[in-house]
Amino acid sequence: MSTSWVRRNRALLLVGGVLLLAVALTVVLGGGPARSDAPLDPDNPGPDGAQAIARVLDDQGVEVTVTRSADGLEDTVVDDGTMVLVSDPSALGESTTERLLEHADGEPVVVLTPSPLLIDELGLDSTVNSASIPERVEARCDDPRFTDLTLEVDLGVAYTGDDGCFGTGDGSLLVTGENGVTLVGSTDLLTNDRITDGDNAAAALRLLGERERLVWYVPNYEDLLAEDSVSLRSLLPDWIVPALVIVALATIGLIWWRARRLGALVTEPLPVVVKAIETTRSRGRLYRKVNDRAHAAEALRDAAGARLADRLHLPRAGHEQQLVRDVARHTGRPEEQVAALLTPAGGIPTSDHELVRLANDLAALDREVRRS
Amino acid sequence: MVITGRVPLLLLLGLVPVVLRPSGGTVWMWLGVVAFVVLLDWLLASKPASLSFHRPPVGTVRLGYPTSTTLTVVNEGSRGLRGIVRDAWQPTAGAVDNRHRVRLTPGDRVLLTTPLTPVRRGDLRAAGVTVRSYGLLGLAARQQTRVVPGTVRSLPPFESRKHLPSRLARLRELDGRAAVRVRGAGTEFDSLREYVRGDDVRSIDWRASARNRNVVVRTWQPERDRRVVLVLDTSRTSAARVDDVPRLDSAMDAALLLAALAARAGDRIDFVAGDRRIRSRLRSAGSRDVAARLQDTMADLQPVLVEADWSGIAGAVAELGRQRALVVLLTALDPSAVEEGLLPVLPALTRHHRVVLASVNDPALAALTESRDSIDEVYDAAAAEQVLRRRRRTGELLSKLGVDIVDADAEKLPPALADHYLGLKARGLL
Repeated sequence: MSTSWVRRNRALLLVGGVLLLAVALTVVLGGGPARSDAPLDPDNPGPDGAQAIARVLDDQGVEVTVTRSADGLEDTVVDDGTMVLVSDPSALGESTTERLLEHADGEPVVVLTPSPLLIDELGLDSTVNSASIPERVEARCDDPRFTDLTLEVDLGVAYTGDDGCFGTGDGSLLVTGENGVTLVGSTDLLTNDRITDGDNAAAALRLLGERERLVWYVPNYEDLLAEDSVSLRSLLPDWIVPALVIVALATIGLIWWRARRLGALVTEPLPVVVKAIETTRSRGRLYRKVNDRAHAAEALRDAAGARLADRLHLPRAGHEQQLVRDVARHTGRPEEQVAALLTPAGGIPTSDHELVRLANDLAALDREVRRS
Repeated sequence: MVITGRVPLLLLLGLVPVVLRPSGGTVWMWLGVVAFVVLLDWLLASKPASLSFHRPPVGTVRLGYPTSTTLTVVNEGSRGLRGIVRDAWQPTAGAVDNRHRVRLTPGDRVLLTTPLTPVRRGDLRAAGVTVRSYGLLGLAARQQTRVVPGTVRSLPPFESRKHLPSRLARLRELDGRAAVRVRGAGTEFDSLREYVRGDDVRSIDWRASARNRNVVVRTWQPERDRRVVLVLDTSRTSAARVDDVPRLDSAMDAALLLAALAARAGDRIDFVAGDRRIRSRLRSAGSRDVAARLQDTMADLQPVLVEADWSGIAGAVAELGRQRALVVLLTALDPSAVEEGLLPVLPALTRHHRVVLASVNDPALAALTESRDSIDEVYDAAAAEQVLRRRRRTGELLSKLGVDIVDADAEKLPPALADHYLGLKARGLL
């Protein structure tokens, strides 16, 4: 049952395993654990600190100078009696690496577990060999310092290179480049809890105690410049930026091509637009603004009277009584009602509502007379 | 300096060297190469100034009808020229397809024809001729715009032409060619002819009958060779739009119909248009093509936002002759404008002439008086009633001075004016 399950999911398990391994490798190659209590710090007495080796070196007469910034590193004197150690290079950027190499000026520099990118920046052509490392590694090299030593390491990486020590088959744990930079592939050589295993302590002391003085450089993130981080740019092909410039230039050319007209735009001399009804509407708005109900009512009554007089064939002006009488007879309405509508005797409307009613009553009266 | 679409393409071609040799230097080198080639091409393009242009007059066309303008281009330079010529006109001239590709060897001549379809009355003008001369590689071009004057005259449409046949028929009735005869004061003696049954016995010419074997009657014809003076007001009141048509255009339509009718009736037509000053005039057009000549005279008249100087216009009418005439004032029955401008000069006109005032009535006024639903509408209705009352009073005032008023909607004004003229003619009042 269980065998068949494994067999059925063989592919998935394989992919999962490879993924896990890749994650583990990335973590290891990415510069080790990123913990806040400063691993491999010369002042860290914890299991992952490196206070022990610093103290022992000091006791052995090596002058250990700890510097925690790039400026501090440049203040120290590095001559032919000096060696520089970078125990935790995870905070080393492009600019700080350049400053380190410039200041070291060919004197030996030891860097622990650098990332592939950092190896490149340090000027070595080694690559990281991802093969697993046996627990015990013998020196197997001509270097007199390490001839009879055997390292015991749990974790580590091997670097390719011509003359390395502690070889593990395809690479070595300790590789020295032509510019005096030495790469060490395991932190177990320096950590407090592992330094006593095997010949680790001896190897570390012989490596670091070679000169009279040791400058222990602990890089600082604050020294990095903005462009030191790994940007998208480093992942893209290097012609992409010039190509974008070319495309931008072509776009400018396109705009220039399309923007230039074939002669100026021709404008039309536009005629004046005056609506004939405009002045009448303005007059209406003026009445409204000052609430001139008296004037409006008079105009409406007057017009209605004139229109009714025309319909009943009466003279227009000055015959109010006769008009009222005739209209009353025509429509069958009482004379008082008609008089109230048509003559000022009906009074001035006291509200907008009354004015609207008067206007509509006049219109209704007009319709009635027209029908009769 | 003008570049063509090939320049951005050439710049894009720079991607190849950039991919092969990725660096900023390659970009700038490519840019330099392209700039050099483009500049060289520009220098090699022949100068547009070596072309000479000539445009014959376009003439007149009725509004909305197609015509075309011809541009003669001669290459007077010593080098060939390849490029585009754009003959630009103001938008309402309707110059479509006005870009012409040309390829001219030295001394070559080419005719470029641009179709025009005017959509607006008046003189429509050419804006300029632009030449774009390409270099040998077609990358860059020289460009120049030159002024080549040109005008197309778009005539007023004369939409009331459709009313002409019916009015001419009525005119023939007056003329005595039809069965109905008209007699009355002011008619003129025409000829003698034989009596037929039905003729008015009062028209028998006894003397002629005595000399003749048969009974002879006199025939009469309506008066001929009268003068009609059309006065077109182009002042601020003519700019006002009734149903989005300026009063001036409606008045022109009415004037054209009346002129065409009066010309057929044998009258002479004079025309004056003006506001603060006299804009145009036309004298004694008695011929058959009076409508066409009048259209041409009125084509470029536009409303002007000034008050009319009626004494100046009346002076222009007086200059046309002392003979009694029918003076038709095509203006607006606008109370304030009439009372302040026209009234003082009217007595002088009515003393010598018969005066008719033709005005476009605004149907929106009547509509305004009828909607009375809200307080705003009621105030508007009151204002409209007020305006109508003042118009009526002004009309009554003018009538007392002996002026006839023809006040009708824009559509109905031309036939109304023509009918009024026919009425006057029938009564022999000219």
